[in-house]
Amino acid sequence: MLRFLVRRLPSVVFVLLATTVVAFLLPRLAPGDPASVAAGPEATPEQIAALRIEMGLDRPLIQQYLDWMGGLFTGQLGESLQFRRPVSELIGARLESTVELTVAATLLMIVVGIGLGVFAGSARSRWSRFTADATNTTLLAMPPFLAGLLLVILLGVTFRVLPISGEVAVLDDPVIGLQYLILPAIALAVPMSGSIAMLVQSSMDNAWRQDYVDLAVAKGVGRRRIAVRHVVRNSLGPAVVAIGIRFGEMLAGAVVIEMIFARNGLGQLAVTSVQSADYNVVQVLIVGAVVIAVVVQLLTEIAMATLDPRVRLGV
Amino acid sequence: MTTIDTTGGTPESAAPRRGGDGALRRYLAALRTPRGAAGAGLLGALVLLALLAPALFPGGYDEQGSGGLAGASAAHWMGTDELGRDILARTVYGLRTDLSLLLTAVPASAVIGTLMGLSGVLSRWLGAGMQRLLDVILGFPGIVLGMSVVLVIGTGWLALFASILVIGLPLFGRQARAGLQIEQEREYVLAARVLGVRRRTVMTRHVLPNIVDPIVVNAAVYMVVAIFIEAGLSIVGLGIQPPIPSLGAMLNTGARYLEVHPAYVMGPGLVLLLLTLAFTLLSNALNKAVLRK
Repeated sequence: MLRFLVRRLPSVVFVLLATTVVAFLLPRLAPGDPASVAAGPEATPEQIAALRIEMGLDRPLIQQYLDWMGGLFTGQLGESLQFRRPVSELIGARLESTVELTVAATLLMIVVGIGLGVFAGSARSRWSRFTADATNTTLLAMPPFLAGLLLVILLGVTFRVLPISGEVAVLDDPVIGLQYLILPAIALAVPMSGSIAMLVQSSMDNAWRQDYVDLAVAKGVGRRRIAVRHVVRNSLGPAVVAIGIRFGEMLAGAVVIEMIFARNGLGQLAVTSVQSADYNVVQVLIVGAVVIAVVVQLLTEIAMATLDPRVRLGV
Repeated sequence: MTTIDTTGGTPESAAPRRGGDGALRRYLAALRTPRGAAGAGLLGALVLLALLAPALFPGGYDEQGSGGLAGASAAHWMGTDELGRDILARTVYGLRTDLSLLLTAVPASAVIGTLMGLSGVLSRWLGAGMQRLLDVILGFPGIVLGMSVVLVIGTGWLALFASILVIGLPLFGRQARAGLQIEQEREYVLAARVLGVRRRTVMTRHVLPNIVDPIVVNAAVYMVVAIFIEAGLSIVGLGIQPPIPSLGAMLNTGARYLEVHPAYVMGPGLVLLLLTLAFTLLSNALNKAVLRK
């Protein structure tokens, strides 16, 4: 494990550092002077000049970068130009909503993806195979936002069983909170579970052809027992990795889902901040999203290797 | 029959002789499978529809009628939007916008990404540097990268084009590099080198034709991702801006009227689903044909 970390860490750290550089440079790459954007259209040249000094734009670029990085580590993230509030406070207020959504969606994705994959992988009759394949293809072709809109029309407008807009924190009121959470989580998770299911199915197809299955058959072990004890257990590896890699996509999907279901999470914050060129907020959100995606992926690789002794970390 | 056959006639040793037209024949064969034919037919119909848009809807996408948010009628088969514009016309023009993005940005991404992946041939440092660059791009969840692009160049067609192009680079770059590394170790490359064939000739005549297959399959797969990128960015309001329609932009405005006019999102939603389905079927068929090689 340590050797694996030593080998992987340099590239992970490089990616993260490069990301901070990109995020740092974004406002400076955009046309227009960040200070005059921040000061607003009616500012006088003196006000803009004063703001330039206040924002540190008069100092050397490398100094600005180091200051900004220092701020990231100490939580001094500056102030939102749009809301006139500290960025850390804004993000803190919206964090719970997005965490609830992504956690619920990840759990759903694991259950539905692996369940559907195992069903497809053990289906023997032509009809159930076809059903599994068709479900998979539909899920793969169905992006989260479309699933979201369909769910809203079906369950929110036509039948009115579940609330389709807004949210209540699950920690405040679990019953009502879950009602608000369930549709967005399904919309986010179910389309993504298609690719998980496909991976499980294809590695199960592969596992059925292995020698240890033949041996088990020869020993007279029942088919169901072989499926559970040997085939499924040996087929979940790629799915675990895929779930980890999908986590970044999950965050990206959350942006769109929050929009459709009017949830006041980080995705909404990111969108409004991009629209109003609120750089201080966007920079932090970009770095945060990349850090989470990259770290989850690394953790998945480690978990994968601990689960499966054949993967000698770093092969 | 020019290459030296050292492996006793396995499919791999036969591959380099066929070169480009062999690949083309395989792709055409893929289109004759049920999946391939369905995908190609569906895509063909959608492209045709998009091309015929000015003839079908001479009023364009922006012709305003009297009644806003009207239901289906003989004049407006799918009803009208909030400004009384024909939803069907806007959907077809939106499809045009989407196709204009997909059919330019995805090939551009495939070509540039592949060149980045192959750049290691010129110098090892360049190749390694490109891989690090691709790693960084890969670290960005798609829509986050799209947001960064929008932040710098503003919303619109160009930002979507750039986002689709950049997000796809790691997919093609890594594939090309992996293919290059496998092919470079093959006997026929070694044989050609021993015979004194120049490096560049080995690359273009022997290695490149053999890594084209996975790139073509990836391009078809990436079409689906690109559709989602356009729709994802447009649906949150960071993509194509009004009054120009795109499938994602229509979902953005339509989502506001779900309760009063559900058909508003169903038109563009259905077309988007058909477009994804077409590329999913095509990529499946191509993948199978290439694997069977």
